[in-house]
Amino acid sequence: MYKYESDSDNFMDEDDEFVDYSEEEHDFTDSEFAMDDENSDDNDTEDAGIAHDDRPRRYAETQATQPTQTQNTFSADAGDFEDDFYGIDGAEFEPVISSRGAKRPWEVDFKVYDPDELQAKQEAIVARMEPVLATSRDATTLLLRSYLWKDEPLVEDYLTDPERTLTKAGVAVDQTRPCIQSGDSAFECKICFSEGSDEEYFAPSCGHRYCTTCYKTYLVGHVLGGASWRIKCPTPKCNMLVGEEGARLLLAGDEESLARYNTNLTRSFVNDRDSFVWCPAPNCKYAIECHVPRSALRTTVPSVACICGNQFCFGCQLSDHMPAPCHLASRWLEKCRDDSETSSWIKVNTKECTKCKSTIEKNGGCNHMTCRECRYEFCWVCMGPWSEHGQHFYNCNRFNEESSKEARDSVSETRAQLERYIHYFTRYNNHEQSAKLARKLLATTEKNMEQLQRELTLSWIEVQFLSDAVDVLSICRSTLKWTYVLAFYMKPDNQMIIFENNQSDLEMATEQLNDLVENPTNHGAIEDIKRKIIDKTTYVKSRWETLLSDTTLGLQENRWQFVD
Amino acid sequence: MAATKRILKEVERLNKDPVPGILAQPIESNIRYFEVYMDGPAQSPYEGGRFKLELFLPEEYPMAPPKVRFLTKMYHPNIDKLGRICLDILKDKWSPALQIRTVLLSIQALLSAPNPDDPLANDVAEQWKTNEKLAIQTATQWTKMYAIPPQ
Repeated sequence: MYKYESDSDNFMDEDDEFVDYSEEEHDFTDSEFAMDDENSDDNDTEDAGIAHDDRPRRYAETQATQPTQTQNTFSADAGDFEDDFYGIDGAEFEPVISSRGAKRPWEVDFKVYDPDELQAKQEAIVARMEPVLATSRDATTLLLRSYLWKDEPLVEDYLTDPERTLTKAGVAVDQTRPCIQSGDSAFECKICFSEGSDEEYFAPSCGHRYCTTCYKTYLVGHVLGGASWRIKCPTPKCNMLVGEEGARLLLAGDEESLARYNTNLTRSFVNDRDSFVWCPAPNCKYAIECHVPRSALRTTVPSVACICGNQFCFGCQLSDHMPAPCHLASRWLEKCRDDSETSSWIKVNTKECTKCKSTIEKNGGCNHMTCRECRYEFCWVCMGPWSEHGQHFYNCNRFNEESSKEARDSVSETRAQLERYIHYFTRYNNHEQSAKLARKLLATTEKNMEQLQRELTLSWIEVQFLSDAVDVLSICRSTLKWTYVLAFYMKPDNQMIIFENNQSDLEMATEQLNDLVENPTNHGAIEDIKRKIIDKTTYVKSRWETLLSDTTLGLQENRWQFVD
Repeated sequence: MAATKRILKEVERLNKDPVPGILAQPIESNIRYFEVYMDGPAQSPYEGGRFKLELFLPEEYPMAPPKVRFLTKMYHPNIDKLGRICLDILKDKWSPALQIRTVLLSIQALLSAPNPDDPLANDVAEQWKTNEKLAIQTATQWTKMYAIPPQ
């Protein structure tokens, strides 16, 4: 689906709307902040523009204690607030369906960040919280990081007991700025035992001084080991953290370690937050922000698209599995992977020799079995010893006995389950294979397009309908593939029949479109084919939208029952 | 080398102001390899025994912790049969501000207060938890059997 966004000229109008929409949203949020900004200027604590709870009032109170600083920071960074003003992961997130018409039901809001933007985002959050907490920038950063960027509990704890909050987070209560000094004759580095007034030492706010060389070696060791903000003062039992300011002071000039330090900080920013994930594509540097809470994953499929082109599920980071929710998708993949089906096959198609327990597959012949391992002779039907069968070689008159019947029933149930699985798996697999072929098809399509351009002297834009069709095909294949997973776990009822009708409509249309694109020459003159393909593409796309809208709503309404 | 200077200072201080009940000396050929003798702490099953340990300061010391192990056979839930010691400051809780002195003191404290909930020798820890009396008895016995009697 990323194709829609990145090449908006490649697809239909709605896609432009989709792109515009995200911009619109930011305008919207910015204007909200502007409103809030005004309110804080007026010290209007009662009806701040974001009166969801008592939080805005608290913000306003804190702001009121230091009006000048607040004003400056707010006006300077107002543009950077974005949706993080609410900053609470998922707490105020409206799941998937918004009242705004532009968004399609199955789409979720998300934003892609490159590392620079991530850094800017961190800085913006810190800048916003700094006046609220009235702590130094360094302390604010550490507090936010140790609260995993959840500003609401942080503000609450801090306002209740600032000292305890600081100490617990590993921030010195006395917020003197860290510095590098020398000239203390009583100084002795407890690491290398260098002493005297010539020794240059690093003095952080916790007061535990070590010589610069040792402190730096210590810090670099941790940074190269992947640590970022959780680096403690080297003093045993001192829980104070080495802040960013101090770390930058020590690492100044060491570009390699500094770069690594920055990378680690950004990495922990993304890893520490529920609303951020890294794009799982190999070597991709982007992170995605999306506010779908964990609890909504059973009814929502937050499919997101990275700038790198990878389309994946925000919830589980598997490649896109719309419309099947995460828990069903992962169960299905596991089922396909493990060999539980192999054992089912063995159960259905083989029996054990009652004497030596060898597994036996009957590949022909009569019911008089002789075990190759132990030479035991028995009846395949009732599994009883053959000697009791007398001369009835070809039919077992013990067949209808109670015990034999039960054994037979249990076998047929397993067989039915296996057949059901195979039914869905074949279709799932078929679409997966077809999607792979669609990639090949794209290559041939491009050739066809060139050919058309040459032969009929059509313009480039006039032959785009073919690649549009292939795009739609591959999306529909992916969706269809996962509809079979959804159907496999669905309990049969009337709602399921409606779902299956939607599914089969889309499937039929997709196959027809596939045929048109693959063998265009079988379908008449070029103008004719072009019209047919364009019509079919539009139709398939509308079926696809119907299916996705319907499943999205259905999942939210708990319309279907799923097997456990 | 800063590290060597630190080691020399540590040795000097250990000689000048020795830890009661602990004797630690580097061997002549290698300043990083220490022979350590530790007296079992009073009121512990190790009382009355003198235990031999080896302590090695790796190249990265003091940024990396020293490697210490008992050479005397020990019956202790946090010491395995090769004499390796399960102690947080010898692993992830190491800090370059710790010293040989502090490490040895911590080991001595570990002898006084075994921690069977974080075991290295599972069988010993199990014994310690199910029948502490018997475990202590065994430890006392081992001290008599394997440790060097006090001079």
